[in-house]
Amino acid sequence: MNILETKDLKHSFGPLAVLFGVDLQIEEGERHAVIGPNGAGKTTLFNTITGTYHPTSGRVFFKGKDITGYKPYKLARIGIGRSFQITSTFTNLTAFQNIRLAILSKDGVRFNLLRPVEKMKKITEETDEMLKRINLYDDRNTPAASLSYGKSRALEISMALATNPELVLLDEFAAGMSKEETADAVALIRKLTEGKTVVIIEHDMDVVFSLADRITVLHYGKILATGKPEEIRNNQAVKDAYLGDLEV
Amino acid sequence: MMKNKLNVVWWVIGLVFLAFFPKLFGIYYTNVVVTMAIFAVYSLSVNMLLGYTGLLSFGQAMFFGFGGYGTALALTHIPGIGVLPAIGLGVLAAVALALILSPLVVRVSGTAFAMLHLAFGQLMYVLALKLYNITGGEDGIANFPVPGLFTESLKSSPEHFYYLAMVILGISTWLMWYMTKTPFGQIQVGIRDNAKRIDYLGYRVPQSKAVIYVLSALFAGVAGSVYGLFHNLVSADGSLGIGMSFTPIISVMIGGVGSFFGPILGVAIFQLVDELILRYTESTELVMGVILIVVVMFMPTGFMGLFRTLRQKISTRRTPEAKKEKA
Repeated sequence: MNILETKDLKHSFGPLAVLFGVDLQIEEGERHAVIGPNGAGKTTLFNTITGTYHPTSGRVFFKGKDITGYKPYKLARIGIGRSFQITSTFTNLTAFQNIRLAILSKDGVRFNLLRPVEKMKKITEETDEMLKRINLYDDRNTPAASLSYGKSRALEISMALATNPELVLLDEFAAGMSKEETADAVALIRKLTEGKTVVIIEHDMDVVFSLADRITVLHYGKILATGKPEEIRNNQAVKDAYLGDLEV
Repeated sequence: MMKNKLNVVWWVIGLVFLAFFPKLFGIYYTNVVVTMAIFAVYSLSVNMLLGYTGLLSFGQAMFFGFGGYGTALALTHIPGIGVLPAIGLGVLAAVALALILSPLVVRVSGTAFAMLHLAFGQLMYVLALKLYNITGGEDGIANFPVPGLFTESLKSSPEHFYYLAMVILGISTWLMWYMTKTPFGQIQVGIRDNAKRIDYLGYRVPQSKAVIYVLSALFAGVAGSVYGLFHNLVSADGSLGIGMSFTPIISVMIGGVGSFFGPILGVAIFQLVDELILRYTESTELVMGVILIVVVMFMPTGFMGLFRTLRQKISTRRTPEAKKEKA
């Protein structure tokens, strides 16, 4: 069954059309990569799915339910998380406080003015456990703004996963990372997303082919091809449009 | 544990000091402390928006003024009303105004939020001047009765007024401090740092902002209400004017925006400078202006930030020495 489906999704910024009817199908439990040249509409696709923009037309379905135009907070509550291409953490808060905000939301402590958060043992434990899993426990009390690039990216990804979503969309999680940092991030994602459905946007073909079960190629706002990595690698249209001179 | 006990000792010393303050320093300085406490609560209410949520309002005086007018009107028109219900009605007026404005103002931020409040603030100011029959126009409302909890009137016993004001303002300060410690306080700073991410984590940003907004108005209303009682006068210029919107912003900036105790420090500095300068010249604004320029240019986190940096420097200088001694 498809956990996420878009039907004829279109989006325009004024006169500039970016998505020309996208039918994306994501199967439950898979790791799916969306690739394509710059300007193909990958991030716009993410933004229309996750409520940053209301799509111009077309529909989005999550587990068969129409979620078109849902606001981000509502998507988070029904089990859809996302991370951002440009690191979007709480820069003045510590790594611990960053993750704790995600844990608080996961546990439904969204509106509590009565108990000090420090006294919520379960929240603290869960947050610390998450920090250990993502190897940020030593930086527990470091403000997010002072973390190294690799670590702040790890925090970015982990915040999307700490709310325990069923479906998570990661927008270029390896952007700007060194080879080593990328390898660590891939391992981290494998570890954290077990049993979850993952959709990634990625430019690094090594990451795509090592992580993805299936790939969708987006080209000028349309889907060029969808399939298993080998199929995509051997697809003539994809080669012509995008992979052409890449050694893959 | 040791540290906790030490804290308790400091608290007890502080409370005893405040309890005996009128006896020790006389009525003039007692009134200085009441003024400071009122402006501390008022500035904290501004810091709740500015420092903790990243919302700059040029119209906080509306809520301060509504608190004052509400209480003064209640005491003038409701015979036999107690002082606490009168304060309650003033605060309720401020909260009601915030509730009415909140659906509109929580959808904007930045310059729009600031300017919208400038507009509403001026509107309320002009209304207070024009609605002469209710507000007394330029004269305001004066000489209304100020009943005490145990005495008939607090007007002739400033000492009793001091205790009443300090308890109410103390509780308000504690409540605002406590709020920063709760999960909601965390969401608040999250909105300041990155509202988009808060949304994507599953929190409702506009609704959370509305709650903060109303609470901020509530405490501004408390301050305004006590201020009106203290002077036994509520007027458009004294309580609703644009100057009353800027005063707490300046205190917050000077003390340290975003730090909880910063605004209190800012108010203390404000008052101290006022006290000292007034002995030589009437132009206290000149000195405050210079201080504000220095703070904005060189101390973005105010005096609180300066103290923190100094303390850090001292403690890092100490640790290597301590290590040497051990070795």
